[in-house]
Amino acid sequence: MTQVGGHHTERVRQRTHEGFLRHKGFRWAQIASLLCLVAIAVYFFVAARLSEPPSGGSWLGYVLGTISAGLIVWLACLGIRKRVITSGHYSLKAWVSAHVYLGLSLVILATLHTGFQFGWNIHTLAYALMMLVIVSGALGIWAYATLPQRLHGNRGETTRKQMLEALESLDKQLHDLALPLDRNGAQIVRLSLEETDLGGSFWKRLTGSYGDCANTRALRQMKALPAPSDPRQAEAVDRIVTVLEQKADVLGLARRQMQITAVLEGWLFVHIPATFALLAALTAHIVSVFTYW
Amino acid sequence: MAETFHLRLITQRAGGGDPIIRERTLEKAELSIGRASGNDIVLTDLSVDPQHARMRFSGPGRVSIESTAGLPFDVGGKSVMGATLDAASRPVVRFGDFSLALEPAEDGGVGVTISRDDDEHHASPSVFSLQAKVFGRRNMAWVLGSGIFLLCLAIPMIFVLFAANPKIHPDEQWSTGALSKSHAFLQQDCKSCHANAFVAVRDQACLSCHAADPAQAPKALANAKRLGSPFEPLLISEHAEHGKLVKATPLPPGLGAKANVLIQRAFNHPTDRCASCHIEHTRAKGGTAEAPASDKPKLVVVQSCESCHAELKMRLKTTELIDTPDWSKHPNFRAQVMTQAGPSPKFQRVALDTAPQERNGLIFPHRLHLDPLGGVARQAINLGKGAGYGAALECADCHRRDATGKNFKPIEMERDCGTCHSLAYDRVGGQLRNLPHGDVNKVIATLAGRSISAPGGSDRTRPGGIRPTAFSGAGASAFRATFSPGGACYDCHTITWAGDTVQLAPTKLASKYLPRGGFDHSVPEHGGPGESKKGGFACADCHRAKVSDKSADVLIPDLAKCGTCHGKTTAQIAAADDADCTTCHSFHKPGQSTPKPGAPPLRTLRWTEATPRKAAGA
Repeated sequence: MTQVGGHHTERVRQRTHEGFLRHKGFRWAQIASLLCLVAIAVYFFVAARLSEPPSGGSWLGYVLGTISAGLIVWLACLGIRKRVITSGHYSLKAWVSAHVYLGLSLVILATLHTGFQFGWNIHTLAYALMMLVIVSGALGIWAYATLPQRLHGNRGETTRKQMLEALESLDKQLHDLALPLDRNGAQIVRLSLEETDLGGSFWKRLTGSYGDCANTRALRQMKALPAPSDPRQAEAVDRIVTVLEQKADVLGLARRQMQITAVLEGWLFVHIPATFALLAALTAHIVSVFTYW
Repeated sequence: MAETFHLRLITQRAGGGDPIIRERTLEKAELSIGRASGNDIVLTDLSVDPQHARMRFSGPGRVSIESTAGLPFDVGGKSVMGATLDAASRPVVRFGDFSLALEPAEDGGVGVTISRDDDEHHASPSVFSLQAKVFGRRNMAWVLGSGIFLLCLAIPMIFVLFAANPKIHPDEQWSTGALSKSHAFLQQDCKSCHANAFVAVRDQACLSCHAADPAQAPKALANAKRLGSPFEPLLISEHAEHGKLVKATPLPPGLGAKANVLIQRAFNHPTDRCASCHIEHTRAKGGTAEAPASDKPKLVVVQSCESCHAELKMRLKTTELIDTPDWSKHPNFRAQVMTQAGPSPKFQRVALDTAPQERNGLIFPHRLHLDPLGGVARQAINLGKGAGYGAALECADCHRRDATGKNFKPIEMERDCGTCHSLAYDRVGGQLRNLPHGDVNKVIATLAGRSISAPGGSDRTRPGGIRPTAFSGAGASAFRATFSPGGACYDCHTITWAGDTVQLAPTKLASKYLPRGGFDHSVPEHGGPGESKKGGFACADCHRAKVSDKSADVLIPDLAKCGTCHGKTTAQIAAADDADCTTCHSFHKPGQSTPKPGAPPLRTLRWTEATPRKAAGA
């Protein structure tokens, strides 16, 4: 459930996004909620009776900590599980469903484990990384639940391949139209042909800010060009302006696709690295606690 | 010399396959090169100028190319405005995407092969997917994961295991919270307490600064100074010998609590350590992010007194203590009664209800001294207010409170009895000379060789003078007279004679009958100064001194007296108070009441203030 790209989008949306959230009538949502409710009830019953201030070092702290650490390791195993193709009872869908809901339950379990004691130390770092993983994961759930429809709505009947072909065709037209132009005109068309960056950097894609787009600049400059005296050239300029505008439209459409795709995939750029960081911090947390027991 | 250009135009097919080759021969001395369709060589590249350059023969097999548009072209990787080339060397000239390869032709002209780089690449739909080269998911995952592993675990662990006195303390990031202010100086020195990796903090670490054992205390204080403690450590005694404690302590009540203790023991994290009750690295109640620390480690009560003392004898056969499951079963006081006075007195625990008699060696009837109509009262009135009396004697006339007010100073004969019981034996130049008190040999030495010089007359002289009968027996030596009936010593001391040798029964007054209890005389309800609640006691309410004829009587009250207020409700008596074990006993010093939380205040433990505090006896 990681790669949602190109023509797969539709199938994934139909089969999986409703699927993993509602899997077996929200079975894992119910299990996770029950786990949280039990943890909260036990915490508030026990914490008041503990002789020491609530922390990860009380017996309840150790119990919650062991459950949480086990869950984190299991949740991280989704990366391995998804690469193995199996079917049946423990289908990937069931795993993802459990991954989502048990992952969310960690917000409660791990917070209770801390006993609400935070500080500038490795222990709170592990907690913060865990929260980062969970928040980015929640973003992913939101993305998978909403964005595929927006992707579809954005592109209408045009496929991504068609968008690229349209751009290529427009570029060819621009090139041929520009041949009779003088050096200035040709430079402006070259700007659009050679400098236009379809996707651009990570942040450009995520934010969708293409203010310095070469095609936009070329269009502006082309319109500002004094009308050539040669009627053949003048006609070429007019047609080039039209084609540049068409290209701008196609670019806009493709880039909106990219932006939605970026959000759809971007959370993984936080979720995966933060998970590895969390596993390291969790190891340090556990080992250090017992080193200085 | 044929000035002929043989042009070969090679065009790649869009769908692949053999290229299209068009050939043309131009018998011209000069060719024009440019994008415009009128040129001899048309290069359909927008980076080429409409009229870009001219090419002409400049010798046999040689051509020169000059830029006419002021735009350069490329020869052998160099950007030039003009060049003369030998076709024999097969040079390649580039204009934009086009390359013009020159070669000698058979007819002596020059062949020009014109081809275009096919650098068209088609964007694939994968361009829509998010990619990041440097900050790719895998890269970031490994860098962050291994970075945290190194910085937060591997490096600190190397310091913990192998660095003896490191200058930096990477293990400080492992601290789960600030230490209390009293221990804040150890914040960076984790190993001062966590001496061994993977072993829970042991008492040894605590006692290295806090041991009260006289053999270890000086070393402990020195160690605290060496570690940089700004405070003098409180020296802590163990409640009882540790082995006995372990034996006497039962598992806590409740299945979960039992399991908790057993599991902790199984994992070498026993619950009978100093650190089991005195918790560090935890935020003070109401602590803020700026001031998270309390003054001292948080005290956690893991055992109640009764959990051990209810059935102590069962677990600890050798104990002399009586099982005390609750206040109502608190054993009656068994006073520590002196059975032999002297320099090394002997004591025995005796129940108060057996009317114990103490052998303190002193002859002192309380009744006589407290009788408001008796001679003692008369004498006290006569002495007057100027001498500190002026009325019948009260307890406080002889029993003086110590600096804390909780207890009383030991009785001093000269101060507390001497105003009436004169030790004077001579008058020299109007000044009375007193016998030394406390050492019979000194008395004997003082009186040696003296004879009686007392005036005759009544025995009832003003106190402070020499009593006429003090040295009675004409012709007797002052020495014998002093230790005989009527002599200065005879009233209070039990004296026997062996020939000419005088023997005094050794005298010692008890300072505490209940050394394991912390009775506080400074409490107003206990007869202390200040406003007492209704029902509070004065001295005579507990101590039946007015009817005691012998100093051997043990005059402390029984436990029932305590029960008048303790364990009662305010509805029953206004002076009601709790009947908690800690009111009279503390864990580390069972003979004292439990200090109030936070006492003594941390600031008073600063080395500079600790010494005067001690001198004051606090």
